[in-house]
Amino acid sequence: MGNEVGSEWIRLIVGAVIALAFASLNALFLVWLERKVAGHIQLRPGPKEVGPFGLLQTIADALKLVGKELITPSAADKKLFVIAPVLIFMPVLVGFLVLPFAPELIIRDMNLGVLLIFAFSTFSVLAILAGGWSSNNKYALLGAIRSVAQNVAYEIPLLLTVMSVVLMVNSLRFSEIVQAQGHIWFIFLQPVAGLIYLISATAETNRAPFDIPEAESELVAGFHTEYSGMRFGLFFLAEYTNMFIVSAVATSLFFGGWHGPFGFDMKIPGIVWFMLKTYFLIFVIMWVRWTFPRIRFDQLMNFSWKFMIPVSLANLLVTAVVLKFI
Amino acid sequence: MGKVNDVLQRFRGMPEGGTIVKDDAYKAGIAFSMQVPAERLREVAAVLNEMECYLESMAALDFQDTFEIVYHFNCFEPRSRFALRVLCGHDEAVPTVSDIFKTAMWQEREVHEFFGIRFADNPDLRPLLLPEDTDEHPLRKTFGKVNAYRRREEIYG
Amino acid sequence: MAEQFLEPVVENVYTLNLGPQHPSTHGVLRVVLDLDGEFIVRTDPVIGYGHRGHEKMGENRLYKQFMPNTSRMDYLSGMLYNHGYVLAVEKLAGIEVPERAKYIRVICSELNRISSHLLWFGTYVMDLGGFTPFLYAFDDREQILDILDRVSGSRLTYSYCRFGGVCQDLDSVFIDMTRAFLKRLRSRWSDYENLVTKNIIFIHRTRDVGVISLEQARQFGVTGPNLRACGVAFDMRRAEPYEVYDRLDFEIPVGTKGDALDRYYVRMIEMEQSCRIIEQALDQLPGGAFLNPKVPDRLRPPKGDLYFGFESARGQTGYYIVSDGSTMPYRLHVRVPSFGNLHVLVEAFQGTLLADAISTMGSVDLVIPEIDR
Repeated sequence: MGNEVGSEWIRLIVGAVIALAFASLNALFLVWLERKVAGHIQLRPGPKEVGPFGLLQTIADALKLVGKELITPSAADKKLFVIAPVLIFMPVLVGFLVLPFAPELIIRDMNLGVLLIFAFSTFSVLAILAGGWSSNNKYALLGAIRSVAQNVAYEIPLLLTVMSVVLMVNSLRFSEIVQAQGHIWFIFLQPVAGLIYLISATAETNRAPFDIPEAESELVAGFHTEYSGMRFGLFFLAEYTNMFIVSAVATSLFFGGWHGPFGFDMKIPGIVWFMLKTYFLIFVIMWVRWTFPRIRFDQLMNFSWKFMIPVSLANLLVTAVVLKFI
Repeated sequence: MGKVNDVLQRFRGMPEGGTIVKDDAYKAGIAFSMQVPAERLREVAAVLNEMECYLESMAALDFQDTFEIVYHFNCFEPRSRFALRVLCGHDEAVPTVSDIFKTAMWQEREVHEFFGIRFADNPDLRPLLLPEDTDEHPLRKTFGKVNAYRRREEIYG
Repeated sequence: MAEQFLEPVVENVYTLNLGPQHPSTHGVLRVVLDLDGEFIVRTDPVIGYGHRGHEKMGENRLYKQFMPNTSRMDYLSGMLYNHGYVLAVEKLAGIEVPERAKYIRVICSELNRISSHLLWFGTYVMDLGGFTPFLYAFDDREQILDILDRVSGSRLTYSYCRFGGVCQDLDSVFIDMTRAFLKRLRSRWSDYENLVTKNIIFIHRTRDVGVISLEQARQFGVTGPNLRACGVAFDMRRAEPYEVYDRLDFEIPVGTKGDALDRYYVRMIEMEQSCRIIEQALDQLPGGAFLNPKVPDRLRPPKGDLYFGFESARGQTGYYIVSDGSTMPYRLHVRVPSFGNLHVLVEAFQGTLLADAISTMGSVDLVIPEIDR
C-alpha cells in the first residue's frame, strides 16, 4: 500500500517536471511559430537569422528577458506585484497533469479531470487582477478591470459547452471522453458547442480579437504595463502555455484526442494525432489574431451575454432532451 | 451669390462700415476684406456665423505702431473668402469670438501666447503650443532674431 | 501663471494621461482624459511638444530657404506642403510656371497624397488592433517612396518644388514606375476590401463612432476628408482650382453621417481618385521646360499680403504671407488642417468609450508636428 502511494508520488513529481520542461519548450516553439505565421501572413519572412529558420530567435529573446532588470514601481503593492506573475503561470501547469496525450500518456487520469482544468484556469483572472491592481498604473488597472469582466462573461459559455459534452459521455474523466470519440468526433455531434468553445477559449486566453485587457493601441500593454524582465516573461509564457492547454482540451473534447478521423488511425501513434490536432488549433488561433481587428469591450460583453450564453444554454438543453429520449 | 450680397449689404449698413475691398480676381486669395474696429468684431463675426462661414485661420502681425489680427473666413458654398482686419494697440485687448466660432478658442490661445495679445472674456488662455511656464511672446518683433520691425503703413501704404 | 490643468467637472473622475508616449497618439500628442468608468467626460488635448517655431524661422529666411521647413510640418505629405508653398510665393511674386512643371507637380503631389492615405489606412487599422493591413499598406507605400526618391532624392521631406518649376525633370523610368505602381495598387483594392472594408468587426468598430456633425465641423474649422465625410463636397482642388486641376476629371467623394466609417470610405475612394488624376496627368504631360530659369535667387515680392489655400492630404492648408518688399517675409502664417481636426475631438470624444476615442482619433488622421509647427 505504502509502496503504491510512493510510486504515485514519484509519477506525479516526474510528470510535473516533464510538464514544466514541456511548457517552457512549447512556449519557445509557439513564440517562434507565431512570428513565422505572422510573418508569412504579412508577406515577410519572419525571424530567420538566429539558428536554422530562426529557431533560436526565441531563445535569444528569452535570454534577453532573463538578463533584464526586474523593475518594481515605487508606488506598487510590492508583495502582490511579485506574486502575480507566478500566480498566473503555476495554475496553467496543473492542466498538464490531466491532459490525455495518448492512451497511456496521462500523468494523472483523474475522474474529475475536466473540472480540475477549468477550475485552475479561472486562477489566471485572479492573477491578472492582482498584477493590474498592484502595479498602481492607470492603464494596468483599466486592463485588469476589463479582464475580470471579460473572463466572467466567457467562462459561462465555455463551461456550458463543456457540460454538453460531459452529458454525452457521463463522465468528467478525460480518457473516457476521448475513448467515446473512437468512431466519430464530438465536433460533428456538437458543432455549436465546438464553435462556441473555440470562440470562448480565444477570449479566455486574451488573444486577438479579444485581447482587450492588453489592447496595445488603447491601454499600452494593459495589465502587464509595469512588468519587465522575466516577470513579464512569465506572463508571456503563461499566455502561450494557456493557448496550448485550451487547444489540447478542445482536441480532447471535440476533435477526438488521440484518435484519427472516423476511426482510421493509419498506424500513426496517438500522441502524434493529438499533437497535430492541437497545433493545428493553435495555428487557427494565431491565424485569427493576425487577420482581425480588435472587438470593442461592450460589443464583446454583448456578444457573450446576449448571444453565446443563450445559445450554449439552448444547446445544453437540446442535448439533455435528446439524450433522455434515445 | 445672394447670400454673400446680403451679408455685404448688412456690413455696409453698419456704422463705420462700407470700407469693404472687393477682389473678384482673388489676387491676394481673398474675395472681400474689411477693416473692423475691435469693438464691432463680435457683431461682424456673428453675421458671418449666420452665413455659415467657418473661421479658416487667425494670424496676428506685430507692427511698431500696432498689432493687427487677420481673421480669414471662408464659405463651403459659394466661394468667398472674407478677411477681417482688426487693429489693436500693444496694450489693448480684443474681444473674443470663441463663443461664436469654437475653433477660435484655440486660435486665440495661440495668438495670445505668441504675441501676448489679450482676448477679453476668453475663459481659457493657457498656452497652447509653448511650455505652460513660458512668459515670452516669440512671434513679437522684439523677441529673438528679427529681420525688420516696420510700421503698418510701410507695408499697406 | 496660468494653471496647467482644468478644474474637474464631476466628482470621482479617473484622469488618464493618454500620451505623449502612447502607441496610438501618432506623434507627440498628449490628451488628458477625465474618465467616468471607461466613459470620457472631458478631453483636454495638450500639444506643443513638437513646436519648432517654423513661423518665426520663416521671418528670418529667404523665401527660398524656407522650402525645407514646409515639408517638415506635415512630414507625411511633404510634397503637398512644398507644392502649396511655391504656389503661394509664385502668386505673390507673379512668377510664370511652364506647363510641364505644373503637371509634374500635380503628379508628385497626388502620389504623395496616396502615400499619406495609405499610411493612415495602415495605422488606423492598427489602432483598431488589426496588425496585418498595416504591413500591406506599408508595402504599397514603399513603392511610392521609391518613385518619389527617384526624382527628388529623398523619401519623406522632398523639397522638390522650386519657384517656377521643379528641380529635376521626370524621365521615362519614372513614368513607367508610376504606371506600374497604379496597376499594382488597383490590384490591391480587393485585398483591402476583403480584409478590412467588409470585415464585420471593423464595421462595428467604426460605424456611428466619433460622429462629427456638419455644424461641429464648421465651428471647429474641420476640412479635408473629415469634412467631406459630413456630406459637403468641399475640396480646395475644386473650390479654388490651382495648377491644372480644373483640366482633370475626378470626383469628390462625400459621406453622409460623418462617422469614422464615412471618413474611412472617403479616404479610400480618394486614393482611387488620385490614381485617376495621376493617370490623366501622365497622359496629358506636355513637353518643354520644367523650370522657369528667370527666377532670381533672392526674390523680392511686392509689398502686400496673400492667403493661399490648397488641399493637403489632411485638409485645407493655407499659407498667409505678408511681404514688406524685402527678401524675407514679414510674417508667414500657416493654417494647418489638423488644428481643427484635433480640436473637434474635444466634442467628439464626449461621452464615448475609451476604445471609441482611439478609433475616432485614428480616423481623423492627425499629424501632430503639423499643429505644433
